[in-house]
Amino acid sequence: MQQEIKKQIERIHALGATYVDARWYPFEETNELFMVNGNLKNTSFSRESGVGVRVLYKGAWGFSASSDLGNLAALFDRALDNARAAAERVTFPIRLAEKDAIQAQFTSPNQINPFEVPLADKVAFLKAMDDQLNQPGVFQRFSGLDFTRKQIVFMDSEGSQIEKLITEVFARLEVSGLDDQGQMHDRAFRLNQNGASSRGWESIDLGLFSQNAERIVEELRQTLVAEPCPKDDRSVILLPGIMYLQTHETIGHPLELDRILGYELAFAGGSFVRLEDFGKLRYGSEKLTARADATLPNSPGSFGYDDDGVICQNNLLIDKGILVGAITGRQMVEEANAKARRQIFDGSGGTNRATAFYRVPIERMTNINIDPGQDGNLEDIIQNTERGIVLDGDRSWSIGSNREQFHFATEMGWLVEDGRRTRVVKNPTYKGDTLKFWNSLSAVGDSSTWEVVFVPNCGKGQPNQIMQLGHGVPVCRFDNVRIGE
Amino acid sequence: MKERILQTSRELRAYALQKGYEISLFYHEEDSYLMRFANSAISLNTNEHLIRLEVQAYSGKKRASYELITDLDHIDEIKQAIDTTAELVQHAQPLNYQPTIPQYSASFEDESSYDPTLAQMSNDEKLQFFNAAVAGLETEEIKLSGIFSCGENIVAMINTRSEHTQFFRTSDAQITTVLAHSQLKWEVSAEQSAQRKSDLNAAALHDDLAFLLARYQQDTPRQIPLGSYDIVFGSAAIAGMLRFMNWIGFNGGAMKRGYSCLSEEKTGQKVLSEKFSLVDDPSRRETFPFKKDYMGIERNPFPIIKDGVFQGFTWYQDDADEFGAQPTGHTVSHNSLVLQSGEQKVASLQELAAMPRQKDVLYIPFLHYMNIVNPSKGVFTGSSRFGALLLKKDGSVEIPYNVRLTQSLLDIFGEKVAWLSQTSEAYNTSASYGARNPSAVITPLFMQVNDLEISHSNASY
Ligand SMILES: [Zn+2]
Repeated sequence: MQQEIKKQIERIHALGATYVDARWYPFEETNELFMVNGNLKNTSFSRESGVGVRVLYKGAWGFSASSDLGNLAALFDRALDNARAAAERVTFPIRLAEKDAIQAQFTSPNQINPFEVPLADKVAFLKAMDDQLNQPGVFQRFSGLDFTRKQIVFMDSEGSQIEKLITEVFARLEVSGLDDQGQMHDRAFRLNQNGASSRGWESIDLGLFSQNAERIVEELRQTLVAEPCPKDDRSVILLPGIMYLQTHETIGHPLELDRILGYELAFAGGSFVRLEDFGKLRYGSEKLTARADATLPNSPGSFGYDDDGVICQNNLLIDKGILVGAITGRQMVEEANAKARRQIFDGSGGTNRATAFYRVPIERMTNINIDPGQDGNLEDIIQNTERGIVLDGDRSWSIGSNREQFHFATEMGWLVEDGRRTRVVKNPTYKGDTLKFWNSLSAVGDSSTWEVVFVPNCGKGQPNQIMQLGHGVPVCRFDNVRIGE
Repeated sequence: MKERILQTSRELRAYALQKGYEISLFYHEEDSYLMRFANSAISLNTNEHLIRLEVQAYSGKKRASYELITDLDHIDEIKQAIDTTAELVQHAQPLNYQPTIPQYSASFEDESSYDPTLAQMSNDEKLQFFNAAVAGLETEEIKLSGIFSCGENIVAMINTRSEHTQFFRTSDAQITTVLAHSQLKWEVSAEQSAQRKSDLNAAALHDDLAFLLARYQQDTPRQIPLGSYDIVFGSAAIAGMLRFMNWIGFNGGAMKRGYSCLSEEKTGQKVLSEKFSLVDDPSRRETFPFKKDYMGIERNPFPIIKDGVFQGFTWYQDDADEFGAQPTGHTVSHNSLVLQSGEQKVASLQELAAMPRQKDVLYIPFLHYMNIVNPSKGVFTGSSRFGALLLKKDGSVEIPYNVRLTQSLLDIFGEKVAWLSQTSEAYNTSASYGARNPSAVITPLFMQVNDLEISHSNASY
């Protein structure tokens, strides 16, 4: 198969394409199970294989994909035809940043292949969790497992050949309950990187889940009898269970270089960031250092090599509050440097990824992390807060089209008065303007508060693509934030 | 093609029967084309031809499913998937209710919403259409973005309970055109939904874009004060809110799980404005309808809200099985929502801007990134996007920066509704997640709702 693909790449190259690549997925399999109130509602498996071909011709992309490997020549021809059609309307001829030709392999850390675990064991885990969540105050209980395993062979006309084997495990527990007015509240626990070095089936640790099942039931009960969240301006202390999403939506997405350059304007939106902002814009307070780190040992945002064939990197995005970098791939860095008439980016940041063989790679978040700070652990931060609220758990999120403002609702809110947590409030929300909010960052927790939160479902692009990634984030405090609206 | 799909389905059914399996098969084939524009260029030109087959196996109260991307030539691979699913279901855990296995009393075919000339439009035709829609509107600073997505969608199903099949074939196109100022960051948009080629109208897109562009080029955007506004929503915003209302308002399963702003006691009661009537109407071809659901239940117009009175919940079969409700023919990948039009004679954005008014009116064509803040109260949040206007009472037009609304759908569709336009359109609501599933909502072009609070007002884009 590799030989045949290589032959086709050479043939299309010889027909005038400036660049050709192919991603062959010998297989991609998924297994999803979830149980609701004791009912195993979903036991589904899937399997697919195929090839996606990308052709650059006269400065324009064409793409084509098929699961039918019987007629590769036709598939490559279609991709070239699509590129020829696209070349009819070119304003900035696409060129790709330099990269090395790489022969390499990558395997994500995984001890026990979840696809070799008997279905009965997975069902038994869900049943045990469901039994444990089945307690007074809980109206609906959910437990779910999600597994993916895929092999990707990348080849291009510049001589690269990279093979990847990636295994993903996601797991979630959730409970909801009704308060005395019939309003629903919920609380969830998600498997994240809890110090483990791999994430095969071994990461489904019954003890860990059991402990968290007890916690979320208890926290839900507290919410059910709580007073409503007041409308107020306070310090908000974000735990990793919401801090990850704040980072995702207001640092990750606005720093995708394709968004900045206007490539998502028809759908996902733009970015308030301009090319002239790099190196200058005060994005946040001096306590804020953010990076795109695809070299973390165990996260869905670490994948060895991106779908441009560029090695994964650890790049600064925001250095002590100043914007210095973006989430980049080969095409966008060339265009950004040319349009800015200066060298903002030294080559691709290695973040171009596609969700499946039949979709085209675009800039995606890797692990968009916030460096731990010097402001102690969670208790230290609470002690140093006069009037605040500790928030955790994503319930609702909505962000302006240029990522300039946001509104979040969380599962949990604990008011803080004079340095101590006082009481739980229900329906907590907060909102703000992105730059004002990050500039109000007044405390960053130390490494004891830092956690890598896995994201299974970031959506972007047309046709739409779902991507898996991570966020390593500490507990952070922001001052003077509107809550309860 | 149809015969081959149905013949293969029957062969696979025979295979399963001979092995003693209880299964249903769901076949999905798409031929999808997407031309994407950005920075006034074609940023991507792509096509996908994919066949997905889902096998669902049953054993008493147990079920399991297996989906593969495959080809009709790969019959052995499919048979193997059937064997695997039949094996998996043995290890599943029984539900505490009996799931209904589909059983068709007759074969059903519907290709009435299929127009091959739309599904197979050439690259040249699509580009010409786009060029016509934006002719003369692009400049050095004003750049074109958008999509021309079109394709063909086939859904076919069979099961071991009967020899009958169901077959649906549709064609669809979704067109979005956006003109954005590369420095000032404002953006205006016009969209179109087509079920057949004759629905396409590049001139209509051009008119809307030209009108908005003229306003945005003449005026300087400004931050509007927080407070209460009379708001006219455009069809995209109305369709977005209807989809959310359909999810957290009218779905029986969501209601039973506590994820609803309506309860069983509200059936027969007035819950929304008397100007508000909503029907799930599969007779409307523009909605890419299913005239039978996946269980074989015939789908007729199903009133959900009549003159503000709630008529009853819609039920997926599985929810109906679990909660002991009557299925309503809603086991489909999308329904066919039609919001009845009203009395107000206004047929275009130009006419809306020219309407006499007693006070300032905020026009919000589109709500970006909507999400549910509190399902029990129907509260959602979202921001304006793509060409909002402040229509001043003196007849002039100003450009507001985007604003955020955090409101209950029960209020927006409730007593605060001032009027709905007489003219309606099909607004394309297709998402390109996973398998192609064209959908559209028929809604009045405009709906005015008085006295709505905006919760955030941007100081810039
Ligand atoms: Zn995302």
